[in-house]
Amino acid sequence: MPDFDAIVVGSGMSGGWSAKELCEHGLRVAVLERGPEIKPERDYVDQLPPWEQKNLDRISQDEIARHYYKQYPGVAYAVKESNKHFWVKDDEHPYETVNGTEYDWLRGYHTAGRSIMWSRQSYRMGPQDFTANKEENIGIDWPVRYDEISPWYDYVERFAGIAGNRDGLKQLPDGEFQPAFELTCAEKEFKTRVEAAFPGRNVIQARVAHITAVTDEQRALGRTNCQAQNRCHFGCSFKAYFSSLHATLPAAQRTGNLTMVHNAIVQSVEYDAESNRVTGVRVVDAETNQHRFYSSRLVFLNASTIASALILLQSKSPTFPNGLANTSDQVGRNLMDHVSGAGANGLIQGFENKTVFGRRPGGIYIPRYANITEHDKPYKRGFGYQGGATPLGNANGQIPGIGQVFKEAHGAPGPWRVSIGAFGEQLPNPNNRVTLHPTKVDKWGNPLALFNVTYSENERIMLEEARKDAVAMLEAAGCSEINSSPVNLTVPGNRIHEMGSARMGRDPDTSVLNGWCQTHDVPNLFITDGSFMASSACQNPSLSYMAFSARSVKYAADLLEEKVI
Amino acid sequence: MKTRREVLQSLIVSIGGASVLNACGGIARIVPSSSMRFYSDQELALVSRISDLIIPRTDTPGALDVKVPGFLDSLMTEWANPETKNNHHEELKELTRMLGEGFATLPPDASEQRLAEFDYEAFNGRPTSYSGYRSLKSLITQAYFASEDGALQEQKWVAVPGRWDPCVEIQ
Repeated sequence: MPDFDAIVVGSGMSGGWSAKELCEHGLRVAVLERGPEIKPERDYVDQLPPWEQKNLDRISQDEIARHYYKQYPGVAYAVKESNKHFWVKDDEHPYETVNGTEYDWLRGYHTAGRSIMWSRQSYRMGPQDFTANKEENIGIDWPVRYDEISPWYDYVERFAGIAGNRDGLKQLPDGEFQPAFELTCAEKEFKTRVEAAFPGRNVIQARVAHITAVTDEQRALGRTNCQAQNRCHFGCSFKAYFSSLHATLPAAQRTGNLTMVHNAIVQSVEYDAESNRVTGVRVVDAETNQHRFYSSRLVFLNASTIASALILLQSKSPTFPNGLANTSDQVGRNLMDHVSGAGANGLIQGFENKTVFGRRPGGIYIPRYANITEHDKPYKRGFGYQGGATPLGNANGQIPGIGQVFKEAHGAPGPWRVSIGAFGEQLPNPNNRVTLHPTKVDKWGNPLALFNVTYSENERIMLEEARKDAVAMLEAAGCSEINSSPVNLTVPGNRIHEMGSARMGRDPDTSVLNGWCQTHDVPNLFITDGSFMASSACQNPSLSYMAFSARSVKYAADLLEEKVI
Repeated sequence: MKTRREVLQSLIVSIGGASVLNACGGIARIVPSSSMRFYSDQELALVSRISDLIIPRTDTPGALDVKVPGFLDSLMTEWANPETKNNHHEELKELTRMLGEGFATLPPDASEQRLAEFDYEAFNGRPTSYSGYRSLKSLITQAYFASEDGALQEQKWVAVPGRWDPCVEIQ
């Protein structure tokens, strides 16, 4: 008898969902988390007022140089003195890049992974995103279409709590939303002017994973409505935004079927050639360095796109000399992120006597229009913009004047500024990949990740156009003092939307997973983190990981019940 | 209402240790104790004077009331690396030169006028040669609004707003 019915590797965005769904199907589940436990009552710092923050909440510069030399430059807006325990220390968790390339691998190793630090933007992929590869003969065709995943989006949205407006856009389908955060008066004006000037474009409320009309199900988990603190990167004492720690793991826990194991770094998934099944996982304890084995009937890898690929590559056997479930040689390839580095900001007049109250968690979103409603583009696919129009407010002293006038100027809202920045689709490319470093290992003896990722011309051209479009929209909206820096593409990985390292497809020769996130090679091995993505679309991907995880668990649990696996 | 001098005094006492204040034409000349870990006596006098002029006490506390200079002394000691520390010293040296050696002891009206002109230049003239001043002004402002009085009284900061109102008329 195996130790567990199912093992879930990783407790983040998708692992939490796998755990909840497996537990609720009555299976005995172990979640193996490589980092320590996070307890909200002990580890959240969202209630720390400014005057109790040390040194303006800045991590000391020497400490950044020692421990956070990748994490801090990558996410300076979120990595602070008070919440640095949510981010990995780079010197303890190093990685390498091939000469001439760069990669930002930005991580948190602890309960709930990056679902406690994410930016919570939640969008469905649209019908076009599942067919583009096939139509354009790029990468491989998705083995799933929008209509198949749509009910699962409904399912996860209801549970997670997504604040959004039903905008009726085909390329960005509506969902089971709670009320959206209303646009500011300047954003409403911006929307009116942009939509008048560009009939194929829309300015909508950002859709964010925040509760605004708490349901009984959410209340039962100790969650409540968003309090507009905008301290989300420090945790949320109200559990108002979705994270594994606030929602899926507690739901799994209350079934009585969950065993949560911390500090368990998975080194390999064990494979039995005779039965063609995985039998469990080998781990090393992060604190004691002791090695353990956990057996199970099913394994779900939710370690994150990069870590899941590394685990497969480390799991070598005579059947799979190049890594478990890697007969296609696609594991670690086609690594994608979203690409930013183009946008514009400017002042919008007419709101000098108005301000806002509260600090909402999201702003505006301009859904993709390129190659949807506008077809004159010198690039494939497209991008969406995130942004907002808010009073400039306290500009950290960077306004003229001294004395009473200066002091009081900070109490005034000041001019309102519109700001938008693009998030573009990155095309899949098998040469963009992560492999095991041939010689270097971490302190537990695990090979380091070695990245070799570069952008293609399509991303470069697209972002140049995104910058021009952003300026044109701000001009059309009557903005003044428009700033738009030259395009400076974000380092691959910097958007923290890693995807594609074990893509799904119809053909076992060219893909790792089938449409159920089940490996073609081994029937009781599933991967439902970002690895499965056959293309990146341009929407923030977490919601899709949630939906695919829930759908895959249903499939896997049925197979178990039918004794197929 | 405390006088400016009393405010300064309490500031220095609060930083810890014996200190001496000499009134000189209504201007406090600071001879701080060795409790400052980063600023020299002259630097502290300059930073204190500029802090007070940029964010004076009005109907709400000013930069000196909330001990901005002591805060910046800690920030430089605990947060800054050697390069930043050195840059900050250099910037203060340059600022002393640009404002005139006697700036910290000018009578109040004269120092206020001098800094107002200087600030105007810094934001309208050749900003790059004023980067040291702009960076100090930014630090003073951030430190002030990070203080309890600055955040609560001046900025009306609310810990838990509880709701989002996207359009509020200013009365």
